[in-house]
Amino acid sequence: MSTFIPRRNFLKKTAIAAAGAFVAPYILPGGRLFAATGNRIANHVVFCLFAGGIRNIESVGQERGNLLPSILGGAGTVDPLIASGMDLLPVTPGNSLRSQGTLFRQFRYAQGPTGHFNGHSTALTGNYTLQDLSIKEPPKMPTVFEYYRKHSSPAQNALNAWWVANSLGPYPSLNFSSYPGYGALYGANFVQPLTLISTDGANALSNPITLSSDEIFRVNEMRNNFNASFSKSGIYGDNDVVNSLADRDLLQNYIKQQLLDAVAGAFNNPWGAGAAMNDDMYNVFFAEKIIEQFKPELLVVNMQGVDIAHSNFTQYCNNLRKADFAVGHLWQTIQNTPGMANDTILIVAPEHGRNLVPNTILDNFGQPALDHTSDETSREIFCMVVGPQGKVQQNQIVTQITGESIDIVPTIARILGFDQDIPGGMLPGRILNEALV
Amino acid sequence: MQISIKKSMKKFVLFTIFVLTLSSCKKETDFVYEVNDVQVSKDKIGKGIPKTTVEFISIAYSDLVGSTISQNDLSRVTLLYLAFGDKRLIEDLLIKNIVNSPIVNIPTEELMRNDITLFINNTYLKLFNREPNEVELFTLRKQISEDANITPKLVYYSMMTSDEYRYY
Repeated sequence: MSTFIPRRNFLKKTAIAAAGAFVAPYILPGGRLFAATGNRIANHVVFCLFAGGIRNIESVGQERGNLLPSILGGAGTVDPLIASGMDLLPVTPGNSLRSQGTLFRQFRYAQGPTGHFNGHSTALTGNYTLQDLSIKEPPKMPTVFEYYRKHSSPAQNALNAWWVANSLGPYPSLNFSSYPGYGALYGANFVQPLTLISTDGANALSNPITLSSDEIFRVNEMRNNFNASFSKSGIYGDNDVVNSLADRDLLQNYIKQQLLDAVAGAFNNPWGAGAAMNDDMYNVFFAEKIIEQFKPELLVVNMQGVDIAHSNFTQYCNNLRKADFAVGHLWQTIQNTPGMANDTILIVAPEHGRNLVPNTILDNFGQPALDHTSDETSREIFCMVVGPQGKVQQNQIVTQITGESIDIVPTIARILGFDQDIPGGMLPGRILNEALV
Repeated sequence: MQISIKKSMKKFVLFTIFVLTLSSCKKETDFVYEVNDVQVSKDKIGKGIPKTTVEFISIAYSDLVGSTISQNDLSRVTLLYLAFGDKRLIEDLLIKNIVNSPIVNIPTEELMRNDITLFINNTYLKLFNREPNEVELFTLRKQISEDANITPKLVYYSMMTSDEYRYY
């Protein structure tokens, strides 16, 4: 018995099959068409690596007084033994961060050496650095910037992802990894403002030739001809983050303006903190400038002034208070920036802690200094997740041991809606659902 | 009647496949024009080593200013390089600044217009460390001679931000 297929049916099925053949390659393993960025909790995440190595004893434990009034709230009363070694700071306006979010008091940097770069790598990749960490190479696992730029849909340009570091050394290499399929193409815009926005920066970069649109057209035409004779252009893109020509112009104008403002003295005392303004505060200040200018979806900024604890405990406490002040100021700036206010979640966490037992160095106040050599206390940290009502659990303190450094990347992925698109097995951590609504 | 149409369709499809198979398997003809084979490649220029940051800065400064950059200035600019992730952006900004600097030593507009061919040859030798080929010479000469708004600074800036300038 023969079967008859009507011509109309035949054509319909053929068309569906052909369309399927074209579409199938774009269907993700999860079954979604394209990498759908959906179900976001917020459209912006700022992650402040409250870094340099901070013990819970001095931070949330408040053994030397309240050194974190912006984060924890309350008066900033300080232990009289060290009070005279502390700088005066203006009062941060607004409510405490704790009242606007969830504090994990017993967070953990559970594995790997308690080194600064290890801690940074862990926080930014969501993977502990148990072996083979080279400070001269990008991380082996993808960074949160690469996950964000690769798996967000529509694809996000580098202007939306920033890594603002307070020092050079190995830290520039944390904006992308060497992981196959990720890398510089999906990296963040790295900047170390304290070097770039400087007198040297102004001398070398603040007076560029200004080209009209006609001149830019001519330049592009000539450059295209030069490039047509030469095929090796892979040096960029393989090794460095590359912005589009349009974004590059925006960035160059931004850098130029920052340099001119710096030369004009606009940054001499921006927060009214006078001589108390340290490098950490300036780094956060420049991160705020990026927030105001570009309203990035993902920005990571760090501070490391507390690392002076290796030789000066009182200055460690002093810088801890300054870091707290800077975080409070950062949150105020976010709330005063249209487009980011009420749509940003701020995560604050140290990269690791410090030892329980001090070393033998005493400061001018007779206080012993602290190292970090992977004892249990140096694995104890805190984590603060701050955000708008309806997105983040408000005024909540999680007191039991909950959460690890490797949980921050999955949490950021969840907030920005691409957690489901990251291939399985790459992130061992979990989403900090306790903090999210 | 319906079965007959189906059989005809089947025959038609088979015939089409047969014809396509035959035509797609046709042997290629090699034409010989009695000239030597030439391998055409964009890499005839022969540059394959990218300049390091330090090399790029010192060579660019020397090409634009005509003297060697001091060690202190070189160290300072190298740090600026490290302080921003998009190196091409910083290179571009750096060259824009040197081109705009009062110490820059670039041929004048008059010199370029007086002998465009000489200007192009000299600029290629200075910046690309080679002579232009006929096509490159023709193309750039045409652009400069037909456009009174192309200045030596624009030519220098274009060449120094091209891919080839990043290699030696």
